Amino acid sequence: MESFFSRYRNLVVLTLALLVQVLGLALQVRKADAGVSATAQANVTSHDAKPVRLIRLWAASAVTPFERAIHWGTQGAADVWAGYLDLRHTREQNAELQKTIDRLRLEQATLLEDARQGQRLQWLLKFRESYIYQTVPAQVIGSSGSIQSRVVWLDKGKDAGLQPDMAVITPDGIVGKVRTVFDRTAQVLLINDETSGAGVVLETTRVRGILRGNASGQPQVVNLLADNRIQAGEKVLTAGGDQIFPRGLAVGTVEKVIRDTERGSYIDVVLKPAANLDHLDEVLVITQLGEQLSPEQQADVDASEALKGGEVAAAEAERKRAAAEMEERLPSLADPNAPKPAEGSAKPGDAPVAPPVPKPLPAKHADRFTPSGGSQSDAVTERPDAPKAVVATPAKTAGATKAVVPASKAVAGGKPGAKTKPGGVK
Amino acid sequence: MAVLTSDYRRELEIRRYPLAVYVLVPLLALVLQAWLPRLPVVGRFAYFDLPLLVTVYFALGRRNPIHGTLLGAVLGIGQDGLTQGAIGIWGIANTICGFLAASIGIRVVVENHTIRMMLTFGFTLLAGGIAFFVTRILLGLSYDWNWLGEILKAAGNAVIGLGLYPLLDRTQARD
Repeated sequence: MESFFSRYRNLVVLTLALLVQVLGLALQVRKADAGVSATAQANVTSHDAKPVRLIRLWAASAVTPFERAIHWGTQGAADVWAGYLDLRHTREQNAELQKTIDRLRLEQATLLEDARQGQRLQWLLKFRESYIYQTVPAQVIGSSGSIQSRVVWLDKGKDAGLQPDMAVITPDGIVGKVRTVFDRTAQVLLINDETSGAGVVLETTRVRGILRGNASGQPQVVNLLADNRIQAGEKVLTAGGDQIFPRGLAVGTVEKVIRDTERGSYIDVVLKPAANLDHLDEVLVITQLGEQLSPEQQADVDASEALKGGEVAAAEAERKRAAAEMEERLPSLADPNAPKPAEGSAKPGDAPVAPPVPKPLPAKHADRFTPSGGSQSDAVTERPDAPKAVVATPAKTAGATKAVVPASKAVAGGKPGAKTKPGGVK
Repeated sequence: MAVLTSDYRRELEIRRYPLAVYVLVPLLALVLQAWLPRLPVVGRFAYFDLPLLVTVYFALGRRNPIHGTLLGAVLGIGQDGLTQGAIGIWGIANTICGFLAASIGIRVVVENHTIRMMLTFGFTLLAGGIAFFVTRILLGLSYDWNWLGEILKAAGNAVIGLGLYPLLDRTQARD
């Protein structure tokens, strides 16, 4: 027996090494298979068993301090160059950026009204909106080193408040989610990894789906029913239903639509990610979501509103000044030959007086239709206190036909404000 | 003549290195493998596998299958520990490559750069094939096998080895 082991010592060691690793793999896969769906599998594998977690901890502890040191050194050199040496055109860029900030503040204040209206409506409909309340900036210090595994390592961990399943974003778009957290480092699963998953919605067509990476490292929305409306260039946003990413964050744009080879009626929508996943430097980890804006965001909004208020007041003053100048230059509509009204006759509180109605010329041959002739004059009676409105009242007389005096006739026969009297019409 | 026996020849050509080299070089390989793909230029052409390269180098130099097996296992598991996948995929691949490299090193003169290049090329392809087998067949997971990518990776490893192996040769202990 001893001679067997000594003779085949190399093969025995090889067999043992392979056996231990195969058993380890079998245990890991068995645990992953406890979940039913692929998404569940991804979730299960995100919580490693203790021995696996220990191996990851050892690997991370051995590698990340060196990566941190290298990153610190290169970043420091780059900062010295960018911050102290290469400062050409900085003033011009600063001025341009300031203009951009002012313009964006105005746009923000304008859009804020719509946003608040949307919030009110959502509140009425009992929707719960989540805002990014607190983020932790972190530096990407390393990767997995394998094209089969798309993860990156951050220089922040449990000490900075990071926890598994927190969303990781950049200002351009989403990046991934925190998978494993150690004291001073954390592993982030990128959205283009095959085991990742996120709920997304296409901006225009409002088609919802699940985002995950394909074998080539491109994020794609999988298992969608064929839809001709989905075209290249359409934006894709987070849907907010996965309890990780807040709603409305940029994911990417549709690059192409490919038919599912296994199921012909389904399509996969390949995306161009909004964030540059191949070259990540600094990311933000969303550590807290709230139903209100954070103090920093609120201060920014207030500044925008104040700026917009000042701009609006200045614009209003400018408009009034221009109107006054225009009024002076334009010819007046008032008749310069018209007699001026007596000064002091009009009091500020008086009601406006109706203009005089021209009287018709006297008829050469008066008949019964002549306004001033016959008994018509009896029917129209002036009343100084008559209201301005002219009311046509049907006249009722005993045995007489019903007659209506039109208002125009009543007005024509006398002064405005007259009205007919009952029994006045023959 | 004693000098012509296989035992004497093997004893003569076994390379030994200081302990610091055994520790630092594999560690540096892991660190660079994880860090270099992040660089803007290098990241686009990251066709290399430094831990495997180091495994093959030490296995060929030491000519000890047990040493090659264990070094490959440790480095492969270290590689797996930095990914999000199952631990053991690259561990198995590097274990087998380390064993085979050491076994071949006993029988073949490996001081020749061309032979070392060809061996590195072959072992890189073999490691990719083993990883594909373990992932796709044993675990039933998807694996993007890209012939061009694997050949480029093997070629990259061979070229890097051409420059790296002579540098590492200088670190071996002298009696």
